[in-house]
Amino acid sequence: MSTGAAAIASAAPLPAGRRGPPALLISALAVLFAIGCGMALVLAMGVRIGDAVAAFAEGAWGSPYAIAASINRALALGLVGLGFVLAQRANLTNVGGEGQIALGGIAATAVSLYGGAASLPAPWSFVLPMLAAAVAGGAWGGIAGVLKVKAGTNEVISTLLLSFIAVWMVYGAVQSEALLRQPMTTTASLPESSEIPDATKLPPLSADADTPLHVGLPIALALAAVVAVVLGKTVFGVRLRAIGLNPVAARRAGMRIGPAIVWVLFLAGALGGLAGAFMLQGDQGSLKARFSSGYGFDGLVVGLLARGSVPGVVASAVLFGFLRSGGINMELAAKVPSALVLVIQGLIILTLAGAAFWIDRRKEPAR
Amino acid sequence: MTAAEALSSVPAPADALASPRAAPAAPLLSLRGLGKRFGSLQALADVDLDIAAGEIHCLLGENGAGKSTLCNMVFGVYQPEVGEMLLAGRAHRPASPAQALASGIAMVHQHFSLVADMTVVENLMLGQSRGVLRQQECASRVRSLAEHYGLVLDPWARIQDLSVGERQRVEIVKCLMREPRLLVLDEPTAVLLPAEIDGLLEVCQRVAARGCSVVLVTHKLAEIRKVAHRVTVLRGGRVVAASSDPAAEIERLVRAMIGRSLEGLDATAGALIGEVARSDDGAAAATPVRRQLGDETLQCDGLTVRDAHGVTRLDRFTLVVNRGEIVGVAGVEGNGQSELAAVLSGMRPASEGRFFVGGVDMTAATPKQLTAAGVAVVPEDRHAVGCISGMSLAENLVLDRLDRFRRFGLLDRKALRSEALEVMARFDVRAAGPGVAFGGLSGGNQQKAVLGRELGIRGLAFLLAAQPTRGLDVGAVEAVYGHIRAACARGVGVLLVSSELDELLSVAHRIVVLYRGRVMGECRAEPQARDRIGALMAGHTAQAA
Repeated sequence: MSTGAAAIASAAPLPAGRRGPPALLISALAVLFAIGCGMALVLAMGVRIGDAVAAFAEGAWGSPYAIAASINRALALGLVGLGFVLAQRANLTNVGGEGQIALGGIAATAVSLYGGAASLPAPWSFVLPMLAAAVAGGAWGGIAGVLKVKAGTNEVISTLLLSFIAVWMVYGAVQSEALLRQPMTTTASLPESSEIPDATKLPPLSADADTPLHVGLPIALALAAVVAVVLGKTVFGVRLRAIGLNPVAARRAGMRIGPAIVWVLFLAGALGGLAGAFMLQGDQGSLKARFSSGYGFDGLVVGLLARGSVPGVVASAVLFGFLRSGGINMELAAKVPSALVLVIQGLIILTLAGAAFWIDRRKEPAR
Repeated sequence: MTAAEALSSVPAPADALASPRAAPAAPLLSLRGLGKRFGSLQALADVDLDIAAGEIHCLLGENGAGKSTLCNMVFGVYQPEVGEMLLAGRAHRPASPAQALASGIAMVHQHFSLVADMTVVENLMLGQSRGVLRQQECASRVRSLAEHYGLVLDPWARIQDLSVGERQRVEIVKCLMREPRLLVLDEPTAVLLPAEIDGLLEVCQRVAARGCSVVLVTHKLAEIRKVAHRVTVLRGGRVVAASSDPAAEIERLVRAMIGRSLEGLDATAGALIGEVARSDDGAAAATPVRRQLGDETLQCDGLTVRDAHGVTRLDRFTLVVNRGEIVGVAGVEGNGQSELAAVLSGMRPASEGRFFVGGVDMTAATPKQLTAAGVAVVPEDRHAVGCISGMSLAENLVLDRLDRFRRFGLLDRKALRSEALEVMARFDVRAAGPGVAFGGLSGGNQQKAVLGRELGIRGLAFLLAAQPTRGLDVGAVEAVYGHIRAACARGVGVLLVSSELDELLSVAHRIVVLYRGRVMGECRAEPQARDRIGALMAGHTAQAA
């Protein structure tokens, strides 16, 4: 998946301040095409389309609870996608969302359980673990930045490999009581952390337990707005774009390339780490061995699908949130493997790469 | 040999030539009402053109006049939107260069397509051979072509060891091996030394004498005088003049090309298109400002650059540039000029030596510190170093001073826009607006924009301009030198690196000559010094010359 991602990131024309129908239209068409293929597969499996669609709709938006759950999934995906788009502006491909989520999860768990966050007054009780998660995820991204600046290591390789390390760090952390594993009171106690204190969980937006929306939603939307402003309306955003498009000319114009690369990968990682905090504090409540289970990579697809635009991230994050929820229910209710959603995701990537290639070829080179 | 196969499918060029009966012989290639549009740009419109067999037909026009587009259409790179092309009386609609090649048209592009790591023979056989490679056969063919056309080439040399002129010869041989009916050369002389240009023009004459038509794209009048049988002038995508006796009508053709008369044309700009500058003009402009102590803006003290392999690229370069003085650096490209420019612009550390700007040691300064010290740089490679094509014109105009456009932490686009508009007006950068993509501007406007940004540096003390007029049309050349001279008159020291000797002679006050990274000598920029400088450029010491 990651190599395909890198291919698109380089093949797709970088957003040079241009956004608009064509880019988003291509994404939309890629999604429609992939869903069409998914339908064909459902048919080929011998399941009636009607049943599958009904099960999908039920799981994705069939109830207020389903909608809220889909949106909560979209939050984590969207944060990783934002990080991807941020780094992409400097022509960096951050495929390390999975690891940044994992580091964020570890940090948030540690601070919630043992960092004394629970005893702080609100909102610090839940903000402190989030900040810790952002710093941890950011450090993970920043390492890739330092490696790139100091040793020229391609960030696609380093962020991906750092992800594997981080995923196994989660595994390790929940295996040992000296680290984050819950006390083994019975033989049945699983290798996972204790439940984090309620004070450190993200407060729900409504008292109604049927709609598990939490404060993560407004925070994520605010962050999306901040990223959009940073990219589009600040000197830093212009510099990132300059560095991404022509690092040599940017250097001649007095920009410091190295610090900018480290910074932007730190920020991208921080958004990934925050996604981990959202998943832990807003949804799962305890750190499990398989904590992220692919959200980082899905978030990467969200970022790719957005083609450099922040509104695009919001739209594709919502799409993927609903896709995931619907897919899970499709497996439960209609006996269609939820792997179908993965197939559709893969098809979206391939279609996008193909479309980018096709567009590049159609553009006649001006000599 | 596939070249021979290609030949068999093509009527021998001699046939076309050997039919002198019809008084206005049917042209080899005729274009009727050709038009092409790229987006909103009308690249070509209503182009009618006839090319006779065995003639050298020059396409004259400034940058952006549509010459390359026209050639690329004949060669099948682009397809015309309207109009038709006839090749020897039959419709010619190549969908690709391969089809054009098959119908006997060959083209040498401005940018070569050679594999640097391979030998000449290997490059010539690429894409033309199947099965067993017969390198010896190819090599002997190269030698026989060399004999016929005067194209001296070592078939076994590696491309990376060849000079630009030699590489061009490889490209031409590649074309001639296919025995084309029509050879298209897109600005072939832009990259050559004066002596090499003469050689190339001779090759053109020999090729034409053997019955193959030659289309020569150029904007240099000397070349037209020398070899053109006929000339067609393009301006703004249209044919604005044509002549079958170009040597006698140069004035009219130039007027058509630049859209105005030669009167009042800057001497330097004239020198570039081959109009011999009235020698006193250049000298009059070049009266140095009287020198005083402490007037040094740039002092280089033994600057040395060694590359990654330890080869010395710049050897103890020592020079002083004073206020209000233009010092030219002459030399064949690749003799240390790029390294010198890279060091002085803070893009590359010097291995040894130091340099000072206004008396302050700047040897280890970053580009940002150099800018702050008032050092402006017009880099040799505009696209790689001077600008960011994917960004807007306005953004490029303030690339080094973005910090000034910050308001409440946000980018003040309004102020940026008005600053950009102001620079555009002052430097006559023509664009639909400050928001247009920089990459879409013509070369001249791009260069004026880079110059506008660099000359707008606060506390400007020194300007380094490397090949500032390369690829520019006459109007832009004039503008560029107008601005450089104006800066000089305000007391800015200028170091001008150029491979066009005529240009240096008419602009600079003094000229130093680089050869293999070393300063071979220095002389006043006066017409009499031309031969001496030429000898120094070739590595002969002053005594020998």
